[in-house]
Amino acid sequence: MSKKIMVIDDEPFILMMIEDKFKRAGLEVITLRESKDALDIIRREKPDLIILDWMMPEVSGIELCKLIKEDPDISSIPVFMLTAKGQEDDEKLGLRCGVDRYITKPFSPRMLLEVVLERLGD
Amino acid sequence: MKDSEIERLKGDLQATIRELSSTYEELSLLYKLSEEFAGLSVEEICDVMLSEITSLINVELAVILFWDEESESFLLKKSKGILDDSFIKGKLNSLFYESMKKPRPTVICHIKEKIEPFDFPVRSLLLIPFKGKKRLIGLLLVANKRDADEFFSGEIKLLQSITSLAGVFIENALLSEQMQEFLLGAIKAFVKALESTSAWTAGHTERVTEYSLAIGRLMNLSMDDLEKLRICALLHDIGKIATPNEILNKIGKLEEHEWREIRRHPIIGSDILSEMTQYIDVIQCIRYHHERYDGTGLLGLKGEQIPLFARILAVADAFDAMTSDRPYRKRFPVEKAVSEIARNAGKQFDPEVVKAFLKWVKSAYNIELPQSEVHS
Repeated sequence: MSKKIMVIDDEPFILMMIEDKFKRAGLEVITLRESKDALDIIRREKPDLIILDWMMPEVSGIELCKLIKEDPDISSIPVFMLTAKGQEDDEKLGLRCGVDRYITKPFSPRMLLEVVLERLGD
Repeated sequence: MKDSEIERLKGDLQATIRELSSTYEELSLLYKLSEEFAGLSVEEICDVMLSEITSLINVELAVILFWDEESESFLLKKSKGILDDSFIKGKLNSLFYESMKKPRPTVICHIKEKIEPFDFPVRSLLLIPFKGKKRLIGLLLVANKRDADEFFSGEIKLLQSITSLAGVFIENALLSEQMQEFLLGAIKAFVKALESTSAWTAGHTERVTEYSLAIGRLMNLSMDDLEKLRICALLHDIGKIATPNEILNKIGKLEEHEWREIRRHPIIGSDILSEMTQYIDVIQCIRYHHERYDGTGLLGLKGEQIPLFARILAVADAFDAMTSDRPYRKRFPVEKAVSEIARNAGKQFDPEVVKAFLKWVKSAYNIELPQSEVHS
């Protein structure tokens, strides 16, 4: 069975880019442009890995990550966080909130796929 | 909207996304490399280049050739993969030369016949010229792609991005290496001027430099620190330029006031160099190279308060002083000098430096040391 990845970002082109790359690698991809209903969808879909953008209107990536990690049903799902360049200091905060890995924008789609596959292989 | 139109738009969107994706690849690569290249030497930049290139593209061979303006030939700088030693040595290959002069990469695929200067079968070849802001640097050559017969435009573009970024960094690194060489040359000229005024000091600086670096290497200093230590050692006695020649060259024992004069040379030396503000640690080292580890020296610094370079220099300097003839005494045998230094570990000298020194002197002079000295 193919693995299911959920990507939440408010930038449509980022979503499409990741979706295209991941689908070609045989992964199932669910994309969301808004974070506000994301928690319910995550609970329902139980993806194998979640990629979140840090900067999103309404619920930020870090807040959403905290909520995911507080819910025992979904807390074991690895969370990768997309951040802009120069937010390295915030990473410490994020790691405390349970972020598994940081990906700095602009990221390489090829590397993102590699680290995701590597993580799924664990 | 007609179905056919929707299909066409879908196709366009797909193409746009792939294009965006490759732009993202390129951007993230450039970000990463510009961070990695910063502060690296020319050799290291080339190493990073080749490892990045071979991770992007599966080829049997990747080579960096530098163009040498003076000899008008290519120099093999770095390579990864199968390569015969005789490859390119000293010859001006017209294919390479033409490729370097072109603004765009040269791509040759589906090669059937043998081509110069390769003495092994080449199936596909990509040559990318690269330059800095002001000068030609050379050529990147990749050959024999393993998983396809052709090079794709996306790959070529990425490789071009790497070479154009690397070109600028290599040019800067070359410049800074030239500056470093120039500085060392100027320092050596300075030292020559000093040594020419006193026959017995000739060669002293050179030997102290050699001994200091040997000790520094055994203490696992970084390349950067070793370069600084070299400058410290070369300049350590520069203050003697202000010591009257009749004292420096006096035959026979020195009077107390003459000794006082000589003892000032670390302070005078550091004052002379005080304008070299980028080399503050060199200046400090020179100022304190005659301090004693137990704190009983001229300026009273103690233990780790004395900069490490100065503590190394103190041992190297003492060893050379004892094993050289002076106007007022004959030189000591090496064994005697070594045991003097070992005996003064913890008093005049840093015990850690002495430990490294003993290790070096043992192998350099092939002498056996009493156990107590090795462990002191």
